[in-house]
Amino acid sequence: MKNETAVAFTGVTRHFGPVRAVDGIDLTIRRGETVALLGRNGAGKSTTIGLLLGLDEPDGGEVRLFGDTPARAVAAGRTGAMLQDGRPVPRVTVRELVTFVARTYPEPLPVAEALALAGLTELAGRRVDRLSGGQVQRVRFAVALAGNPELIVLDEPTAALDVEAREAFWDSMRGYARRGNTVLFSTHYLEEADAHADRIVVIDSGRVLADGTGEELKRAAGGSLVAFDLAGGPSEGLDLLPGVTSLEIRGDRARLHTDDSDATVRALAERDAIRGLEVAPVSLNDAFLALTARAPGAHTRPLETTR
Amino acid sequence: MITEYVRLEVRRTLRDTGFAIGTVAVPVMMYLLFTNLGGQNEEAWRTASMVGMAAYGALGAALSVGPGVAEDKSSGWLRQLRITPMTPRQVVTGRALTGSVVVLPAIVGVLLAGGLVNGVHLAAWQWAAVSLTLWLGSLPFTLLGIGNGYRLTAQTTGVVNIACNLGLAVLGGLWFPVSLFPGWLRSLSAYTPTNRFAELGVSIADGHAPAAAALAVVAVWAALFGAYATVSYRRSAKTA
Repeated sequence: MKNETAVAFTGVTRHFGPVRAVDGIDLTIRRGETVALLGRNGAGKSTTIGLLLGLDEPDGGEVRLFGDTPARAVAAGRTGAMLQDGRPVPRVTVRELVTFVARTYPEPLPVAEALALAGLTELAGRRVDRLSGGQVQRVRFAVALAGNPELIVLDEPTAALDVEAREAFWDSMRGYARRGNTVLFSTHYLEEADAHADRIVVIDSGRVLADGTGEELKRAAGGSLVAFDLAGGPSEGLDLLPGVTSLEIRGDRARLHTDDSDATVRALAERDAIRGLEVAPVSLNDAFLALTARAPGAHTRPLETTR
Repeated sequence: MITEYVRLEVRRTLRDTGFAIGTVAVPVMMYLLFTNLGGQNEEAWRTASMVGMAAYGALGAALSVGPGVAEDKSSGWLRQLRITPMTPRQVVTGRALTGSVVVLPAIVGVLLAGGLVNGVHLAAWQWAAVSLTLWLGSLPFTLLGIGNGYRLTAQTTGVVNIACNLGLAVLGGLWFPVSLFPGWLRSLSAYTPTNRFAELGVSIADGHAPAAAALAVVAVWAALFGAYATVSYRRSAKTA
């Protein structure tokens, strides 16, 4: 029977001195899924990816790719990756580089197809170290998919790309995912995670804070946002109103996260606190901030403020 | 898989203009200069210097693997190679093979200058045997280069490389005959890998088999540099 799990992290930890870069991550990615690893800079995304690819060993826990160790899955040609760091390889052409990488894999894509998928057909004869930043990024993508791997891992693939190049990149990525491949990409852009992934895994301080679709994350963070002008009125007790999950005061305006906006609005009406009342679904950005603020160790940046 | 890798790395090396000038043009020019100045142009010196300068070119080309590896380490290319199905052992082997391919232009270049410009006369088998000996004998220096590349940063590799290159070349008598050295330096020179490396080639050009001592010294250095390369590689694999 075919193993349906592409990636499995079980209680994985990785410490660098006192820094817990990865602090107990459990994560399962099924075959064919496109998953975004969403977090701020320094949240542990790149360390997680390094562990996944076997570039680094965990201090605790276990990483499995297709039921095997990362090293063996990599040696079997089941993964391809686009790493974040690094300059382009000097003195090779795009075609030479992609051809070489493809031939290290057992069942690669035809080189012309890999180049076309990454939008590099026109640039195939150019030297990699003489391309623009956006073009180099496309070369990295071509290198990741040249071997036709089942799992492709992209570490911040759109960093340093302009809007147009970014759109083109996501088109290519979707083209690759549509062939039934598994894609894991990391990003700190919420919109990208929401628009291009089936599932978003939010990580912060080396832990998984939330895992689900964009909609699920918004719901988990409190489905709606109810805002109104305090107009000098008291803010005490607002966080105890029905449905309210968290409270935020910005100047004279109170913003209530609520999972039952009807009940919250009714209660506000009873307190006659409805000046400038506004009810809106929570944005993914709000959801992200709410999730990361609740994380252990994040007490220094609470969303709730009372003045 | 390794063949593909070697092909790619050889291309990258040969496209480096600095490499072509430093390891082919410079030894050829030095050879022509040293053998046509100051009346030192008897046949024996032209032949010995030809072998010495070919050895010097091969030394430079073999050591140049070091900065190449260091550059690949800092540019992230080695990390990228680690996530291809190539095993680390294949990558290192490929690098060593690359070193043994890129020494050829230097050896061929100087031997051609000797045969065509300086009129060095050797039998066909001698030309072949000298080329082959210089080619195989450059292996210890490739291993030294690989060791430097994995152990050191890109900048320090460059400096250490030049130090190894000039030190081993001069001390080993590749530039000037050791007969010009004071006695103590001459005896020291006999233990250098470069001196014995050239000696292998010179004895063949003179028409007799290389001395066992020369073979032994080169073999010991090959083992030492091989161990150095292995240790450096293992250490860098842990940190990179």
